[in-house]
Amino acid sequence: MTEPILEVTGLTKEFPIGGGFGRRKETLVAVDDVSFSVLPGEVLGLVGESGSGKSTTARCVMRLIEPTRGTVRFAGEDLLALRGPRMRRVRRGMQMVFQDPYSSLDPRMKVEDIIAEGMVIHHVRSGAAARRARVRELLELVGLRPDHLTRRPANFSGGERQRIGIARALALDPRLLICDEPVASLDVSIQAQILNLFKDLQQELGLSIVYIAHDLATVRHLCDRIAVMRDGRIQEIGDRDQIYGAPRSEYTKELIEAVPIPDPIRQREKQERGAALRRAAKAGPPAEVPTPAVAKAARP
Amino acid sequence: MTGRDDMDAGPLLDIRDLTLSFRTGGGLVRALNGVNLTVGHRERVGIVGESGSGKSVTAQAVLGLVPAAEVTGEIRFAGENLLAVPQERMRQVRGKEIGYIFQDPLSALDPVRSIGDQISETLRIRGVRKAEAMRRSIDLLGRVGVKNAKERARDYPHQFSGGMRQRVMIAMALVAEPRLVIADEPTTALDVRVQAQVLDLLLELAEERGLSVLFITHDLGVLSGFAERVVVMYAGRAMEQCVTDELFYGSINPYTLGLLESLPRIDGEVPRRLTTIGGQPPSPAHPPSGCPFHPRCRYAIDVCAARVPTLLTPPNGSHPSACHRAQWLAEQPGVLR
Repeated sequence: MTEPILEVTGLTKEFPIGGGFGRRKETLVAVDDVSFSVLPGEVLGLVGESGSGKSTTARCVMRLIEPTRGTVRFAGEDLLALRGPRMRRVRRGMQMVFQDPYSSLDPRMKVEDIIAEGMVIHHVRSGAAARRARVRELLELVGLRPDHLTRRPANFSGGERQRIGIARALALDPRLLICDEPVASLDVSIQAQILNLFKDLQQELGLSIVYIAHDLATVRHLCDRIAVMRDGRIQEIGDRDQIYGAPRSEYTKELIEAVPIPDPIRQREKQERGAALRRAAKAGPPAEVPTPAVAKAARP
Repeated sequence: MTGRDDMDAGPLLDIRDLTLSFRTGGGLVRALNGVNLTVGHRERVGIVGESGSGKSVTAQAVLGLVPAAEVTGEIRFAGENLLAVPQERMRQVRGKEIGYIFQDPLSALDPVRSIGDQISETLRIRGVRKAEAMRRSIDLLGRVGVKNAKERARDYPHQFSGGMRQRVMIAMALVAEPRLVIADEPTTALDVRVQAQVLDLLLELAEERGLSVLFITHDLGVLSGFAERVVVMYAGRAMEQCVTDELFYGSINPYTLGLLESLPRIDGEVPRRLTTIGGQPPSPAHPPSGCPFHPRCRYAIDVCAARVPTLLTPPNGSHPSACHRAQWLAEQPGVLR
């Protein structure tokens, strides 16, 4: 049996809400007893609608926020038990790629410095020459050109910026990438380029990836295994073919059925089915996403 | 409403040779390069394109909402050229004759006024008495699926969920009984199940009220179920225009084909790699010579860099495509799959 690179057990994150002005204090359970593991070289998808807790889960795993309960084992170490420099050294092995390639890169820094920053902070590859060589290597790996090095983020398109963000994440030789909606703000033609890049990286470097997204089509393309989240809980977790071919939970079925497909004849059939179902269920309330206002408020 | 006369010949909306430029620090920048587009009576037309393609600018131009430096061409609505009418008339057209729905209902709604007040405003400023305007707004609110419409009309935007807010926007767009509705990415910000419900509602209302709809989206899946006819835009031009099924099963434009191929699918085989369109969309400030797509096109030949192709139906094709290779593509059996 291969040891998982990441093992999350009973992860829970509660946020206090309300309070003040004489209102009663309550807690919102954003992540509720979540457990999953990721094997070396595996891509795990975390999918769910807004407010499902998928991003909060990622933040807890990275310890960008402190979970309320649960354990996170990364590369055999109990990450939540570690403190200070030792925690940071272990955590270096997992890196994050963010959704918005516009706000996640410092506009005043040159690409070269953005990619090298982590190496400087963590004293990896000390010596400017060694760092520069590594930056060039990374640049090529993500499909950018050497003459891009001295430019600043404003000179790049969304897709290119996302490549810069990926190069930065790879600079510290992570074993795990956590990607939070990395293609959600990209155009269709650029999205495909970045998805291919993730697949290449995963295969060439043997990376593990936790891929967080709401878009079920990109998740299916990239992920080996998928966890479906709703209201902070994992509804079901399974292999790609099982989740998409034979979903066990009613919720997963609904999500997949609701994805519009670029095939008019089949899409019209799908809509007919959906409309008929909704007409039949007219007596009950519509399947609205519960209290997104509360979920939003809980976002740190 | 169904008894509305469709007497005037020709399409309800007829955009001819529309060009539009913005003034920037670096001089004039062309956002639209001669767009031709029609929406017939009771027809649902989709515009699909990536960011910068000009799809939203086209919609905003119809509503007279673009602070453009230079506009040429015609936007004919029920025979009247909207580019030539005074501001006063344009204010009547907006809301009354053309309704619109935007992507983000939260920023389109006033946070400090009740929903009922905002929906009925369109009627009140056109002289409908307050009580009557409110009664019609509440009826419509119920029709778009808001439960307890009478009580909910007194609530404020933040008291509604994202999907419900978009239903409120739809009620606002329809309350004055417009003939044309422009919907710009109306479901993009919604979760997938709510998106399906809102699309379903829009489709129902369009049929029930005999509406024409101009639907703008980047999502080919959403388009495939909603639009009867489709216009694909790229770099401020219409690249291909046809009935929806032809676009998905018989496109004769390399850009459209590229888009369709690059989509990850929810069923079928999972390919190891997605087919991609290489490169980036052109910057509007520095458009390439000839066809705007030629630097990224795998079918490009010499003429593509030299001359801009016109949106024409090739001799053996079934619909117009702005491509020098359209005829050749029409002769290839199953270029796509």
